Formats: sequence, structure tokens, C-alpha cells
Amino acid sequence: MMRKSQTPTRLFGVALLAVALVLVGLALSISQPASVQAAEGVPAPVSQGGEVTNEVCLACHQRPDQAIEMANGDSLDISVDPEAYQTSVHGAQGMSCTQCHTNITGYPHPAIEAQSRREYSLQFQQTCKNCHQDQFEANQDSMHADLLAQGNLNAPTCASCHDPHIQGKITGDDGQLLTEAKVWVAETCAACHNAIFQEYEESVHGAGIIEGQSATDSPTCTSCHGVHSIPDPNTAEFRINSPKICADCHTDETIMAKYGLSTNVLDTYVADFHGTTVTLFQKQHPDQETNAPVCFDCHGVHNIIAVDDPQKGIAVKENMLAACQRCHPGANINFPDSWLSHYIPSPDRYPLVYWVQMFYTILIPLVIGAMVLFVLSDIYRIIRMRGKKNTPPPTENTTGTA
Amino acid sequence: MSEHKTYTRFDTAQRIEHAVLIASFTLLAITGLVQKYNSAGISEGIIALFGGIQGTRIIHRIAAAVFLLQSIYHVVVVGYKLYVLRMRPSMLPGIKDAKDAIQSLTYNLGITKVPPKMPRYNFAEKMEYWAMVWGLVLMGLTGLMLWNPIMTANLLPGQFIPAAKIAHGLEAVLAVLAIIIWHFYNVHLKTFNKSMFTGRITHHEMVEDHAAELEEIQAGRAAPVAIAKTDLDKRRRIYIPIAAVVALALTGVTIWLLTTEQTAIETIVPPESDVPVFVPVTETPALPRGTAEATETGDTQADSEAAPGGATTWDGGIATLFTDRCGSCHGASAMGGLAVDTYANLLKGGASGPSVIPGDAAASTVVTKMEATHPGMFSEDELQIVVEWINAGAPEN
Repeated sequence: MMRKSQTPTRLFGVALLAVALVLVGLALSISQPASVQAAEGVPAPVSQGGEVTNEVCLACHQRPDQAIEMANGDSLDISVDPEAYQTSVHGAQGMSCTQCHTNITGYPHPAIEAQSRREYSLQFQQTCKNCHQDQFEANQDSMHADLLAQGNLNAPTCASCHDPHIQGKITGDDGQLLTEAKVWVAETCAACHNAIFQEYEESVHGAGIIEGQSATDSPTCTSCHGVHSIPDPNTAEFRINSPKICADCHTDETIMAKYGLSTNVLDTYVADFHGTTVTLFQKQHPDQETNAPVCFDCHGVHNIIAVDDPQKGIAVKENMLAACQRCHPGANINFPDSWLSHYIPSPDRYPLVYWVQMFYTILIPLVIGAMVLFVLSDIYRIIRMRGKKNTPPPTENTTGTA
Repeated sequence: MSEHKTYTRFDTAQRIEHAVLIASFTLLAITGLVQKYNSAGISEGIIALFGGIQGTRIIHRIAAAVFLLQSIYHVVVVGYKLYVLRMRPSMLPGIKDAKDAIQSLTYNLGITKVPPKMPRYNFAEKMEYWAMVWGLVLMGLTGLMLWNPIMTANLLPGQFIPAAKIAHGLEAVLAVLAIIIWHFYNVHLKTFNKSMFTGRITHHEMVEDHAAELEEIQAGRAAPVAIAKTDLDKRRRIYIPIAAVVALALTGVTIWLLTTEQTAIETIVPPESDVPVFVPVTETPALPRGTAEATETGDTQADSEAAPGGATTWDGGIATLFTDRCGSCHGASAMGGLAVDTYANLLKGGASGPSVIPGDAAASTVVTKMEATHPGMFSEDELQIVVEWINAGAPEN
């Protein structure tokens, strides 16, 4: 079996996932999911009384490891674990098999026309929509739906991420993702994006969730990419808007205080040439292609590590320089110092910048103040002169007598 | 001496130079300050007017180029006037200017009874001119540092770049405020001095601002020194080639500095991540369904239930086998008329007739059904037990 070739860590993770799903399902089996909209015309649960009860289906389908070979050679798993189903959100709601498998009314079942496993699951998209219209429509706006529409059969549909027979509850009563579900989300995405997942699990965010030291706060995939309406992250628009995603958490005093991180990272970024550019593009031309760096250009995309990491951290000047050189080829080791590293200049850090600023902070009021005083004195003279209009200007006199 | 008399103050070339300066300075100030104060609503509006931040920056750079080239022209012209024409360096500040400034202030306040008699360029004008020179040098240097950050960091510590940015921005604030307060007041508000546009200054303005120069004019001492044509030609022959070389060199260096490095403004499409996006864990990406361990446990349980050891009679285990495997459909709900809940019902059969013919397994429906497809199926071992049981006469107990 494919699964047996996986690493013990992954197996353990999957086992944890299964156990957690069961527990959560049990705990929440009495609460109604807030985000499910029962559509008109959906048959009511018929787990009792009707002719085709779940017991009827499970009589056969509960036997493990049953599979049908599809026309293209795919193996379609047709076993359902009754216990897992019972603790899933659907089972806990008393959903009957035939509410989704509407074409099955008895035995023999109608022939499966789908040629492949993928085609089979695609046929069920509309089925999910019956109860999950909002999520379905959100997904229609996603790049996954776009790819699917372009004929990319690897693009996921509902059931690719949510196995309807075992899907447990992943949100709390407040509608927020459960802390423990963050790992499940990441592992679900990893089914297709495994290389990215492997980078992510090494990152401060990924490790923080997987190892648990920042599980309540660190982002999982959906925190940044969205849940169902996942946009293409390679667009200019996503790039330009991305600092906001990071800033959501990184300007939050309460969260950052826990990890001893500064919250002025956005302000200092926006004050810099690059941040100014990106902010203005974001406001005025959100689809503008730009290479002005956003957070992830220096800090990494999925492999974000602590800046003070002795090997890869960008507090190491050589590492920062590599990021600079992507757009400023030929820059030398002095170059990274031209970026204030989110610090506000002080006599200890970036003293030259600090003292230049201090110089002007004193010079400008002095010069302008002196000018204003002189101008005021001149206005005073004019007013005074106007009072004694008839007196000839003394200059004339002196000119005459000198 | 008539009150209506006017005096020549600026020639045409000077007036054109000033007009170009107005244009480039104003453009630089607007396109620069909106960048410094970019979050203000009015700045955003102005930036949008210039076609966005990219357009604003390009216009700022074009205006800066004009400003720099004009300053080269100015140096050449001043050099010509001083060296070839031997004109007096009337813009040089001296002790007299400091005295004039103090006397003007005390006169304004009514402490001194007479105003100072000021020369062709009075202290206010000299202050403005030299502030302009200082501003030009500082803005030029810091601006070029920002325009050429790679070159700057190759020569100086990287910190000079943000320091240059701060200086560039704050010097701009100083310059603009000075123009608004000092220049606008002195030549537009106090009296509208039109000499920079018409070239001529009124008698009254001469009296107020340049009394010393007026006295010189009236005394005939202000007329240009007569220079012998031979001297003039000789100095021209020296000055013009040198000035040409210097001007060309300065222009060349300026243009090189403005064009050599564009990474501060050019846009290259950012590279995409080198991590492949689609890397499925399995060939056909599928969610993990339970665990391998769980599946194995399931198998074991199924086997132990499926083969009750030594089942040779209905009561001795065959009943359990039928209930487990067939009971869901053929239990109380008796699908197809068949119920296997009791021995009698099993023998009675359903719509397809009796399901068990004792002694003849091959003719019994429960066995023949298993040779085709049926929703519920015995395992091979189970079927073997059932076949043996029927062939043995299907004993009830």
C-alpha cells in the first residue's frame, strides 16, 4: 500500500489526525454547524424508517478495503468505516448515504459512468453545493476552480480536501478554525503541495504549529491564502497586497508581545522607499507589476525563518545582500545597511541617519523662525509707516543730505 | 530724478534662466514633497495626477536633470562675467551685509531711524542666492546618491543612503519654506517686484532695496568698466575653450550619473519561487483515510467474525454468519422478501424462491448469488463453510 511507504512521522501525524477528528466529531456531534445552509429540495435525513437506511448500505460498504477498478485503471475505494462516519460532521448530523448518493436506490447500483476516480469525484461537486452553497461559490472564485475549468484535473474539488465520510468539525462555535485543525489544514494542502509543505514545516510558522509552541497564533496555509476563494498568489495584485497579510498579525501588540517581536515593522517598511512604492501601488494601481520588495522577498515565502537564525537569518548581512542583489546586481556588502532593518534610527543604531535628522530638526525651525521674525518686523514697519503717511520716508532725506 | 524712472536690472538671458528655475524647482518640490508625505490625501491626489508613483518619480528625475544642467550653465555664465567682462562680484557676501541685516531689523522695529543703504544685491537676496547654491549642492549630491544606490554603497557605508534620503527630504522642506516665507514675501507681497519678468526695476524699489546702487548709478560710478577690445578678445580666447571643456565634462559626468544606474526605479518582473507548486504526496492525491494500523485491525476483526470456528449447525454459528453478512438487508426489513433471521425464514426463501435446498448447495440461491455479484458477499472461507453446511443437509442444531 502507498501509505505504508510513508515516514513514521507522517504516519503518526495521520494517526493523530484521525484520532483528533474522531474526538472533535464526538465532542461536537450535538452542535449544528453554523455555516451549513440546507437547500430547498434536499431530502431530509432518512437514517431511520426509510427503505434504504445507512445500515443497508453499510452492510456491504463497511467491509474494509473494497475497491472498484475504474475504466482507466484507477482504484475507487468504496469502503466506509461506520465508526468514522458516525463521528464525522455528516454522520453526526444523521445524514444518510442516499442524501448524497441520490442515484442509488437499490441493488444492483447503476453503472458508474465516470472513467476515472477524478471524474467520479467531480460529479459530486454539485452535491456539496446543495448544503454548502457559500463555500461552493467561494471556491468558484479560486484559482483551483480556474485551473479545473482549464482542464487541469489535478485541481482539487470539495472532496479532495474534505472526505465527506470522515470530515470532522474543524471550526469552533465562533466559526474560527480550531487551533488543532491548523496542522490538519497544512497536511491537507500537502497532499498536492508537498514541496511547499516541506518548506513550511521547517519555517517559524510551520514549526510553531506542528511543534505547538505558537500554535494559537502562527498561520496555517489558509491564514494567508484564504479558505475556499484561494487566489493565484503569483499575480501582481497578490504581491502588492501581501504586506497587509503579514501586518494583520505582525502589527498586533497582543500577539507580538508573546514572541518579543516589534510591531512597527509595517510603519518602518512603508516609510522606506520600497514600502512607499508598494503602498502607493496598492492604493492606486493594485495590478501594477513591481519588483519593489514585499515582506516575503526578504523573509521568505513559505520558508520564513527567524531573522537571527545564525545560518539563514537575514540579520546575517551576506544573506540580506543576496536578497538585495536580486534587484540591485553589483551591490556590495555595504549595501544592506542602506535598509534600516525596520529600526528607527537612534544614536546607537544608524547614528548617521539619526544625527542628520537631528540636524534638520534644529536647523529648520531656526532658519524659518528667523525668517518669520524678520518678515513680521517688516510688516510692523509697514503698518507703523502707514500711520504716519505724511512723513516723507527718511531715505529720501538722507539721500538728499548725504 | 523722476519717481517714474526705471532702471535695467536683469537681462533677457537671466530672466529665461529664472523662468527655467521656477519650472524645475516647482516640479521638483511638488513631485518630491508628495513622495516624502505620501500618505497625505492631497499627496495621493497629486501622485495620481502625475500618473502614479512611477510617473511622479520619472518627472522628478527629469526636473532634476534640468536643474543640474542649468546650474552648469550658471557657473559658466558667472565665470564669463567675472573673468572676461571683469564685472564686480556683486553677489559675494561681506560684513556690510551683516550690518545691513541688523540695521534693517532695528529700523523695522523703530530703534534705528534710518534704513540701510543696500547694494545691487542686498543681504536678503544674497542670503537667498547662497541658500540656493547650498541647496543645489546638497540636493544634487544626496539626490544622486539615491539615484545610484549601488555606486554609493560601493564608495561609502550603506547608512549614507538613508541619511541622504532624510537630508534630501528635509532640505527640500527647508528650501520650500524659505521660498514661501522669504522670497514670496520680499518680492511678491511686500511690493510686487516685476524686475525678474520685465527686466526693469522702479525708482521706488531702488530707493527701498538698493539705495547704495542707486547712488552709484546717479554718481555715474555704476557704468561698466571700459575694456580694451584686445584685452577682451584675449581673455575670451582663454576662457571659452576652458569653459567649454569644463562644461562638457560636467555635463558628461552629470548625464553619466543620471543614466548609469536605474535599479532604483526600473521594474524587473520578480522571480517566482523555485519550489514546485504541484508535488502530490501520492500519484493520485487523496486524503488519508484512517491509518494503516486501523485498517489492519479491521481486517483481523472481520476474519474472526467471519469464521466462527467449528460452525456446522444453524444454531452452532451459521445463524451468526447469516445475520452478520446478510442481516442488514435480509433482516427485519426482508429485502426481496427474504429474511435470514430464523431458520424457517431462510428455508422459506424470498422472491427468487427457497434460498437453501438442504443437501444441494449448488442449487441453493444463497450459493449461486455469491457466484454473481451481490451487494453483500461471503468471504471464500465463509462460503466454504456455508456450502459444507448445506451439503451436510443444513442441520438446524
